[in-house]
Parts: sequence; structure tokens; C-alpha cells
Amino acid sequence: MNKWVRNFIIFIIILVFISAFSSSYSSLNIDNLTYVLAIGIDKSDDNKLEVSFHFSNPIPAESSASEKVSPIINTVTASSLSNAINLVNGYQGRQLNLSHCKVIIFSEKIASEGISDEIYTLINDTQIRPSANIIVSKCNAKYYMQQIKPEIENLLSRYYEIFAESSKYVGHIPNATIGDFFNSLICKTCEPYAILGGINKDNSKTNSSTSSDFGDNNNINSQKDYNIKANDSSVEGENKVENIGVAVFKDDKLVGELNALETMAFLSIRNKVDRFLVSVPDPLNDNQYLDIYITPHGSTSVSVNTSTSSPYIKLSCNFTAQIYSMSENSKYLSADVLESISNSCNTYLKAMFLDYLYKSSKDFEADINGLGIFAAKNFTNTHEFEEYDWETSYKDAFFDVNIETSVKSGMLINET
Amino acid sequence: MLKSKIGTVEAIMLILTIIVAHSVLSMPTNILSSYKSASILNIIYVGIIAICISFLIYKLFKNFPNMDIIDISEVIGGKFFKNIIGIVFIIYFIVTSSLMLRNFCESIQILYFPMTDITFIIALIVIAIAISNRLDFIGTIKTNVIIIPIALIGVLFLFFTNINKFVPERIFPILGEGAFNTFVIGLTNIASFGGIAYLYFLPPLLKDGTNFKKITLISISSTAIYLAFTIAVLLFIFTFFVDVSEISPLYTATRYIEFGTFFQRLESIFLLIWILVFECYLSIVCKFSMNIFQKITGISNKKALLDVFLLLIFSISLIPKNLAISQSFESKIYPYLMIGIVLVLGIGILIFANIAKIKHFQSNINRKELTNEQMG
Repeated sequence: MNKWVRNFIIFIIILVFISAFSSSYSSLNIDNLTYVLAIGIDKSDDNKLEVSFHFSNPIPAESSASEKVSPIINTVTASSLSNAINLVNGYQGRQLNLSHCKVIIFSEKIASEGISDEIYTLINDTQIRPSANIIVSKCNAKYYMQQIKPEIENLLSRYYEIFAESSKYVGHIPNATIGDFFNSLICKTCEPYAILGGINKDNSKTNSSTSSDFGDNNNINSQKDYNIKANDSSVEGENKVENIGVAVFKDDKLVGELNALETMAFLSIRNKVDRFLVSVPDPLNDNQYLDIYITPHGSTSVSVNTSTSSPYIKLSCNFTAQIYSMSENSKYLSADVLESISNSCNTYLKAMFLDYLYKSSKDFEADINGLGIFAAKNFTNTHEFEEYDWETSYKDAFFDVNIETSVKSGMLINET
Repeated sequence: MLKSKIGTVEAIMLILTIIVAHSVLSMPTNILSSYKSASILNIIYVGIIAICISFLIYKLFKNFPNMDIIDISEVIGGKFFKNIIGIVFIIYFIVTSSLMLRNFCESIQILYFPMTDITFIIALIVIAIAISNRLDFIGTIKTNVIIIPIALIGVLFLFFTNINKFVPERIFPILGEGAFNTFVIGLTNIASFGGIAYLYFLPPLLKDGTNFKKITLISISSTAIYLAFTIAVLLFIFTFFVDVSEISPLYTATRYIEFGTFFQRLESIFLLIWILVFECYLSIVCKFSMNIFQKITGISNKKALLDVFLLLIFSISLIPKNLAISQSFESKIYPYLMIGIVLVLGIGILIFANIAKIKHFQSNINRKELTNEQMG
């Protein structure tokens, strides 16, 4: 073939391919995209979805790095999530890109009616990351988004990205992602869960008056610190949003909530917490509590007996602990004292775990711990396991918890 | 001549290319949805059978050094039989690779080029193969030796980076859908070892034919280990692959890899590696198909055939109207094609050839004995 003809053909082929791929390039070009940081989903009065999109706001070139920018929120009412996205695409004149969406917020109302359609749609989207967190807001999802005003972070995206990390060292919320939620939604041996979110209602005054009701009784106060959920905490600040607790689902419907203490038990059993703080009764001083950092030591061991229709579930957890609170006349270098504190921890944690487990079984009938997979060991094939019907039999479950805590020492000070 | 032949490592990587290319598509989902929690047990069981089959193939080839299945067909059934077998294998290679290409391009279109017609995506890959095959096949083989280890390490990387999310108890109930489903119906899963088909054509291409045993056993064992790791990643982390059909389960798994907030979105690197694997896979298919066609027609310049085969691959990949049709080929037709053509027909020919050779050998001995007696 003539060299010129060959080159001409190659040139034509290149042109054809450029034109064929340019449409995809144009639609995914950064100039044509709007990045969504969070999606809020509410139920509107006419039973449609009210979807709010929280956009990243580019910092103007003339503004300083420390200057905060106001959030941009668009809300649309539509029959489905995909239609809502499409309507905002038209409104913005740009295509919504969900690849940087860090948080998906469902209002309590829509979560109690079922969110499987929305979850399936979001998972079907190529842009949504499986690591995006799911929050169930005790208030309207749009209002929740409007109240997010991170004080420490200038970048809202940074706040969304790291807030759930506290699950590892505080243990008051789980790092619940849409990937895990979808996994549990399909799973026959576990149920989904989400982060419980709410708005701080300025409870500081209410709490102080409540504490005065209990007089100087220190134990009541310290326990109350952990019996809180989103909406209940006494923290004051510019950021009105607070996430405390777990939203428990049965299939795709919200069935209950766990408070901070129950969340710690939940995360411990699931081996998803590195360390958490609890107040256990001081064995040496009646009506006094010791604040102790508990660190899980190894994974939780689980065995399930399915010989009867009521499963008997045995859990065994090992912890190491360090005493955090310190007062006058503390003697933490004595083996006997540490032993008695360890025993106190065991009793306290056992009660805490059992309370939580029976609540998940009897009140919620939802195995959010995924204990069913341990029951599957007792069956040789899936038909036998399906006949046992774990999802139904979990509500009749009995639990036994064995806790082994070894209190090591105080922290910097061991004796006063 | 020796320059155009392939070494032991290159041959092993060539066989592994087939499984890596197939595993990127819906093959793992098909295994998980069929055998559920017993998927790994099934892979181990089928893997042992595949290793036995590959050893049998090696033994059956032992009597025919430097011959492939086409040459052996000619020995037992003459030129007509050779042509039929050649055409059957060409159709098997071309149809399978075309529909795999279609499935792969569908995934690429959904993920990265939503506005581009799939014809152009397929055409782009086909043109890339045309260019690489025009250069030299050894070039493809050398590329393979670099790309396949990276792809294999990629799966190990997936396995170890997600190990904290593993729930090993997901292998229970141990027999999945039951013993019959895992061990009897599960035998059809031998189709996952598609690389066996290429073993039939390897002996004349090898630099050292004595390494055929090593190549056969290592490549099929590595295939089994690779498959076990792939299935383990998907089974231990995700419950939804058992019930939900995803276009590319391995791609979905890569989306879960995150190292803090710094290393995220590694799936693009994986997809790039898999595109290269697919290019190598299609190049191998073209090379083998051209070799077979050259043998049955006796033409001297096989390079001219490249455009014809690529055009065939391109055209066949455009036949399915939608993803459902091309995926149903992969899950419902391909396993039976593989078992029928590769295992039943291929091994059948080798057994017949060996029996014929033994009979021929014995008749020679008898004739010699008769001659000796007459002379005595």
C-alpha cells in the first residue's frame, strides 16, 4: 500500500476514535462536574423523597487558607434518588459526581420505613465508594446537614472523612459504611447497622439540673455519661451535630438505637474498637467509680449451640486495662488491689455485654453482631441452616459471656 | 527457529493468562452463586482433578514428542479428521475469546466510558492486538512474563490487604448446597481450568520438550491456587456475591482497598493491569488459532491471517445484543463447550492415538517375531 494512503487511513482512524471517546471525556471532565460531599435523604409530605446534596465549595483564590466557606446545599423532591440526582444535574448545569461523597444521611422517618431501594441504587452507582458512611439522623436529614459546622477543620470534606475514625478510640459510634450495610442487608446471618446522628439541643443546662437532682452521688453522674445517644449529650459548641450510638436495622428497616455504652459492647464483640473508656465501680470505695481504659486482647471467641430451637451463644472476651482516673490515696501498685479492680471490671463488663446482647435479641430481634455465621458451623449444608431459620430463632437466644480483664496499672502515677 | 520458541516460565505464564483473564469477569460470581460457602472446597476438589487430568495429558503426549493435537489427529484419522478437529478448536478459541472480550469491554464502558459506543472500545483493543501481533509473538510472550506475575501479586495483595476484614467462618456450612452439588454437579466447574485447552498445542512451541511435564503440572497447580485465593477474597469479605451478580467481582473487591486516607482508589491500577492481561490473552488466542489454521491449510504466510481472525473476534463480540446474552454464554454455554471440546474430545483423541500407537507397536513386534520364527 502506498505510504501516503496508509498514513491517511491511520489519521482517519485516529480522528474517528477521538470523536468516539470525546463524549465520555466531556461528560467526565472536571469542568463539567460538581462534587457531592454528602447526601441527605428525607421523606416529603407527599410521600416522595426529599434529597439534599451537600456540595464542596471551592475556596476563592483571594481568600486565606484559614477562612471558612459556607456550605452549599441543594434540596430536591423526587420519586426516586436517581431522579433527584438528575433534576439537580439540570439545576446546576453540571453533572453531580458522587465519587467524593463521604456520608449518606437518612432521616429516622425514612429509615423506619425501609431504605433498601436507596441502598441498592447507591451501590449500583459506579461513583459511590463502599467506604461512604451511613448515618441515621434523629432529625430531618437536611437540617442535620445544615448544622454541620466543623470548628477544627476548615475543609468540610476532611471532617466527613475522619469523624468516624473516633469509633476506634472512643467507641461511641461504629464506622458504618454503605459497603458493610449492603453486605449485611444481603447476608442471612447478620443485620445492618448505621451511625446514629442528631442535633445537640444544648443539654448542658438540662444535664446540670439533672445531676443536681442526684445530689453529690458521683456514681450516677459517671454512668449517665455513657447512657447517652445522639441528641442527648451535654457538649456545647458551634458544631451542633453529634453522632453517638448505633441505629439498628432489621432487614432494611430501623428497629432501634444503642446508646454509647451499648455501642462499646457492640464494637467490642465485633472486634472493631482499639480502646474505650468505662467507669467501673471502685471495689475499695463504695459508691465511687474508677475510669478505666479497656483494650481488647485478641478477638472475641464465639460458640453457638443450636441443639434446640433457642440458640445458646457463648462469648469470651479478654481485655487488658489501665486506670485513668486518679485521686488521693490511690494504691495501684498492690497486686491484690489490681486483682480486685480486675474482678470489678469483669462483673461490670459482663453485665454491660449481657444487657446489650439481650437487647439486640429480645428488643430488636436483629443480629447486628453477625453471630449467625458461628451457628452455621453446626450445619453441614445451607438447606439445614435455612431450616433452622437463624433470623427468627435469634430472638429466642440465650447468652453467656465470659470476661477476663487484667488491670495492669495506672498510667504515669500508680500511687498517691 | 529456536528464537521463536518459548521457554518453561513463558509457557507457564501463557497458561496462567487464560485463568487471570477469565477471573476478571463473572467467573468467580458464577462459582460463588453455584457452590456458596463450599466454593473453596469445590475449587480444591476440582483443582486436584484438573492436576490429574493435566498429568494424564502429559502422559498421553509422551508417545508423541513435538506434536500437538492437530498432528496427532492426522495420525489417527487422516487429513479430513485433522481439519475437523482444527476447525472445532479454532471456533472454540475464537468464540470464547470474543464473548469474553465483549464482557470485559462492557465492564470498561460502564466504569469509564459511559458515553462511548461499545464498538469503539472493542475496536480499540482489537487494533492494539493487531499491532502487537504484527511485531512478534515472542514480544507478547515476554510482556506476559511481566504482566501475569503482577496480576498474580495483585490478587495476593487483595488477599492480604483485606485480611482484617476476613470472616473465615463464611466457609460454613462446609458443604454449601450439599455434597451432591459440591462434588457431583461441581465437577462442571472444571471448566474454570480453561488453560488446559492450550496445553494441547504447546509441545511444538517449546524450546525444550522435556519440560512439558513441569509446565503442565506447575501451570495447572498455580491456576488452582490462584482461583482459591480469588474465591477466598470474595467469600471471606463479601456476602453479596453469593446472591448478587456483579459485572466484575474482583474489581468490586479492589474498591474496598484503603490504607487510611492516603492510599485510596487503587482499582484503576488493577484495571490497567487487567487490560494488559486481556490484550495478552487475545494475542495468545490469535497466535494459536493462526497456528492451527496454518496446519490444516498448509499456507506459508500466516501473518496475513491475523486480520481475518481479528475481524472475526471483533464481529462475534458485537453479536450479543446485551450483557445478559454475553454473560449467559460465559455462565451457561462455556462450561459445557470446555468440557465437551477440551476434555472429552481432546483427551479422547489422545487416548485413541495412544491405543493406535500401542497396537501398531505390537503388530510390529508380532511381525518381527514371525519373521524371526520363519528365519529360525
